[in-house]
Amino acid sequence: MGELSFLNNEPDINAAGKGGGLRGWLDRRYQLTPLLEFLKHKEVPIGSHWMGWYYLGGVTMFFFIVQVLTGVLLLMYYQPGEATAYESIRFLTTKVPFGWLIRSVHSWSAHLMIISLVLHMFSTMMLKAYRPPREVTWVSGYLLFLLTLGFGFSGYLLPWNKLAYFATTVGTNIVKGVPLLGDWLLEVMRGGPDVSINTLYRFFAGHVVILPLAFVGLIGLHLLVIQRQGMAPPLGEKVAPRGMKFFPSFALRDLLLWFACLMILLTLAVFLPYGPGIPGMDWELGEKADAFAPAYPGIKPEWYFLWEYQLLKEFPPHLFGLEGPQVCLFLIAIMFTVWGLIPWLDRRARRDRHSPAFSDFGWAAILFLTYLTLLGWDIGAGKRIDDPAALRNAARVCAWWTVGAGALVIAVRSWRFEHRWFLLSLAALLQVALHGFAGMSYLLAGLISIIFAAVGIAAGFFVQRKPSSAT
Amino acid sequence: MKTQVLVLSAFLFSTAAFAADPSAPTQNPKLTEMLAAKDESGKPIIGPDEQAYFAGLNDNLKELLNQAVQKENITRPEHLAALLALQLRPQKMEILLQNNCILCHSDSANHSADTLFSPTAGAGGAPSHMNLKEVVEDVHFRRGISCAGCHGGDPTADLGHAHVKEWPEKDRATNREWIAAFCARCHSDPTYMHDFNAALPTDQLAKFKESPHGRTLLEKHDSRAAQCVSCHGVHGIRPAKDPQSKVYAQRVPETCGACHADPKTMAGFTKADGSPLPVTQLAEYKTSIHGKALARGDLGAPRCNTCHGNHAATPPGIAGVSRSCSLCHSANASLFDGSKHKQAFDRNNWPECGKCHGNHAIAKTNDSMLSTAKGGLCGDCHRDFSKDNPECIATADYFHQTITRLDEARAKFSSVAEKLAAKGLDVEPINNQLTEITDGLRKSRTHIHSFSRDTFQQVALPAVKAAENTETLVTKAREEYNFRQFWLALSIAVIGLLMLTVYLKLRALEKEKP
Repeated sequence: MGELSFLNNEPDINAAGKGGGLRGWLDRRYQLTPLLEFLKHKEVPIGSHWMGWYYLGGVTMFFFIVQVLTGVLLLMYYQPGEATAYESIRFLTTKVPFGWLIRSVHSWSAHLMIISLVLHMFSTMMLKAYRPPREVTWVSGYLLFLLTLGFGFSGYLLPWNKLAYFATTVGTNIVKGVPLLGDWLLEVMRGGPDVSINTLYRFFAGHVVILPLAFVGLIGLHLLVIQRQGMAPPLGEKVAPRGMKFFPSFALRDLLLWFACLMILLTLAVFLPYGPGIPGMDWELGEKADAFAPAYPGIKPEWYFLWEYQLLKEFPPHLFGLEGPQVCLFLIAIMFTVWGLIPWLDRRARRDRHSPAFSDFGWAAILFLTYLTLLGWDIGAGKRIDDPAALRNAARVCAWWTVGAGALVIAVRSWRFEHRWFLLSLAALLQVALHGFAGMSYLLAGLISIIFAAVGIAAGFFVQRKPSSAT
Repeated sequence: MKTQVLVLSAFLFSTAAFAADPSAPTQNPKLTEMLAAKDESGKPIIGPDEQAYFAGLNDNLKELLNQAVQKENITRPEHLAALLALQLRPQKMEILLQNNCILCHSDSANHSADTLFSPTAGAGGAPSHMNLKEVVEDVHFRRGISCAGCHGGDPTADLGHAHVKEWPEKDRATNREWIAAFCARCHSDPTYMHDFNAALPTDQLAKFKESPHGRTLLEKHDSRAAQCVSCHGVHGIRPAKDPQSKVYAQRVPETCGACHADPKTMAGFTKADGSPLPVTQLAEYKTSIHGKALARGDLGAPRCNTCHGNHAATPPGIAGVSRSCSLCHSANASLFDGSKHKQAFDRNNWPECGKCHGNHAIAKTNDSMLSTAKGGLCGDCHRDFSKDNPECIATADYFHQTITRLDEARAKFSSVAEKLAAKGLDVEPINNQLTEITDGLRKSRTHIHSFSRDTFQQVALPAVKAAENTETLVTKAREEYNFRQFWLALSIAVIGLLMLTVYLKLRALEKEKP
């Protein structure tokens, strides 16, 4: 524990504290000096990598703070209930001074928070900052990511409008795929067999009480371990040659960035109060939810759930004697589990050595998600989302974009960062090409890509072993 | 033990008694043979669908079939197959199987194409009125008035051809004068008709006789004139509510047009003033707002008989025009009746509505009709007949300008409201005013027909007021948006200043301790 061992001792308030006044008064009681000394000497490592990645966590936290503040203001007017939920939001946005701004900022900040969180997570992953001794930072961050998705999903229903109602019906329906417990889980989530006002009550409780409590606890842990261990130095540069003082240099830079984020947030909220108008990123209130109204076609979840929605659509009704959605859910669960366990799976990084396969794994994941998200958006299908020919064309357009982006990424990585390991990215692109260009089924294309990657990895091992066994 | 045997035997006996139902018909062996018959290639003549239909027939119908076979009205499996293939409902099948006329005339072995009821009549085959499927759909047939009802004889008893005395022996196809009176034997008899359809009128013949159709046929002896059969058909007459009937609302224009749009049929017919009867009405009607409404399935839309009548079909007189129109357009008509134009039109003997709106080719109205410039209805008429009375011209101009402005305001503010809503502004008050404008505009267009400034203003002024309110609300909303932008700019400036301060502080700190 070192300098923090004072926490166990009963403070002597008569002892001479550092200085007089309030500072001295506080120091005598709480012995702040060692803590301040610790913070004063805290440094952020400066390495060969771009420092910008270190600020993304702070930006995410900024947006979370905005969420809490605007959320509390919304809570002053919001009344959950069949006859009040929609009406109170309508009243807030049309009649309450600056009510529109609060809702708009809350919605924009939610989306920006997810964007910065995803960037933060992927940058951490690429820089291998999850390696020991920072496994807890990764896992707590990973859990915060899951909670954020929960915030997005539960908050979406609260205005009780038509779009939210049907999106929630479709969204909650997915848990039906959970083996054995599916039906029960669905009922627990909805508070009944269908999405009803009971669903709104429990989503409301989750959104404003349960999730925030869990989030604040986890963010406390996340910050505590970061402050205690400091930020991760770049891989292979364990003893950083130089450091930037956390206080004030890094913290003031953080503050500058927060101000910039606030500027962007306010500008977006004023000029695009209902979002950019992209499906899944649109929060115009529209009509009130009506359980008896027909669901309109082309209903889409929020953009960060779009890849799961599209993956579900690519599964046939039955597969391996199981229901298609069940298999898909199982696959998604595996993906999430693997993502959470990365600090233990990446054994080279654990020994502080470069692990190009895991860097490439990150990029492959990004390409995989990009293609599914573009497909989910029906990019290139125009408005003819029911026309198979238009959807085929959409798949081709999405494939062009993904393959183009993938090629660019590989080129930049190879030229700028001298990366040489692209097997998983290539496998992801192979699946995109087989599905988008050759018109193969998405799952078959995936299977071929997995076999391609497996053969490639096996060949890699064989080539590596051969010279070593010869010597 | 004995009692048990007794009970058991009693039970068995009663079951056996039930099994041998004495009322069940025993199938005629000839019928059985026909049902199992095969053609030269060994294929069954009675197909599976017909077999299934036969199996589903009730005992009564099976017995009637037995009897028809017994009497040798049905002798060939091909004939039986044609009858079963009609898949008639029991009630119709019962009538058919007791009708010797149809049974004999539907056997292709007995009759040539002109007297054979064929289930496949039509193009290239038998004449269309000999279509067996049509005959059994006939409203008379379904009520049990089949062949004999018109042709005479007793279809259940004999095979003779004793026709009713009203049935002309010769020339009946070229001289059609007998038809109306022939149908009227039943249709003009209220007591007789009451048993079939108490709501059906029985005055058709009386009306027909007074109509131009009736006069042409009965007084001028011109068989080109329409009579019952021209519109209702011969065999296969259906009630007017049946969409397949020739007098079904949507089919009326084509039915009338069959003669009235045919220059050959209409050659030589003239109007009261001696000019030839035009043949353009059907084409004009199809382009009219009424014709388009009917075509898209609005059965309330007026068609030929709505204005001209059915059996008494006559061109409406001058007064009749407005009365016809007022049946639907009652608000416009009552406003017109109280207007100055009413007397002026009566003096000039003009058809009221028709003078401005036309007749068969009534187009959707538009506001430019109110223009007093050359080409505008108001202006053109007033120049010719009212010596450009300045008061009238001023009123017409006022109507035209007010309505045009309201229409423009509605279009403009609708699009403005949409844009403001997209900017996140509250447009509900604007939309409420827009509803007022739309409502007022609709009423104003109706109240034109009063041709009175005061009456018009009663409905137009609230809409004008709503347009002014909308203008104010839009200005307010725009101000609100500017206010938002101003505060955004100010906030950004303040944040920018803070950022500058932080930046300068940071630079100073880092200079101190390099």
